[in-house]
Amino acid sequence: MNNFDQKWQRLTAAARRAPAAGDEAAPQGFATRIAALALEAPPAGPWFGVERLALRGLLAACALCAASVAFHYATGELTVEGEDEALIEFVNTDYELS
Amino acid sequence: MPDDAFDLAACLAAVRRRDQSAARQLVEHLHPLVIRIVRSHLPRRVAEEDLAQEIFLKMFTRLEQYQGAVPFPHWVSRIAVTTCIDHLRAQKRRPEFRWADLSENEAEVLDQVLSDERDETPNDALAARELVRKLLDQLGPEDRTVIQLLDLEQKSVAEISALTGWGQSMIKVRAFRARRKLQKLFRDLQRQEKS
Repeated sequence: MNNFDQKWQRLTAAARRAPAAGDEAAPQGFATRIAALALEAPPAGPWFGVERLALRGLLAACALCAASVAFHYATGELTVEGEDEALIEFVNTDYELS
Repeated sequence: MPDDAFDLAACLAAVRRRDQSAARQLVEHLHPLVIRIVRSHLPRRVAEEDLAQEIFLKMFTRLEQYQGAVPFPHWVSRIAVTTCIDHLRAQKRRPEFRWADLSENEAEVLDQVLSDERDETPNDALAARELVRKLLDQLGPEDRTVIQLLDLEQKSVAEISALTGWGQSMIKVRAFRARRKLQKLFRDLQRQEKS
């Protein structure tokens, strides 16, 4: 055990001796409030986890969809620009020839 | 302390039937367990009652998922620990830690620990606890949780793994890294004390 470990162990040993902070019983009205809040909401069924995953999946699918539209739009523009340049070059060449 | 005569299985069955009185009894029964976890992992500026409320509401929301694979208090402890970690993660900035920020008693305890080479533990337990808390505030949420559970609550790596869901190797790595950060903090504090 190195020097730091010894010091740290001594400090944590002293900290562990400190008495528990405060009363551990539920404060007045706490349990009643929690019980009322908990039971007013409908219980989560066994599909709760699956539903959360499905929601995440839906969000991921929407993001992917938006990204693919954006990507297609960008490449579509490039293609049109590229085609325009090719057309201008073709027309210029055509005029030079004639 | 939890009441030994408390029939947890019957209480859970009643809660599943939406019995409000059983739900209240369940909260009262588990409150000491939850509040101990909250107090030892409590982030700064978060009220312990608010955090306890959040943990209990999560417990009720997920109750249908509890299959009885682990004892119910262990299952609740895991919800409590992970909720505390989420809150610690949300707490972005950690204040810089300086010797001047320590109370007189905390400075004395630290001085005793740093300078005394004998194998003696400091006498002021409350100041030592507050000092450890301030030191742990300087660590990231996961590192802090590992050190809290390992060195203060003296839980085994397997127990921490069950509580947090992290692998045992990861816990050992986190503990090693966290102790190195604490060692650096100690060195900085020692330098500040001397200057």
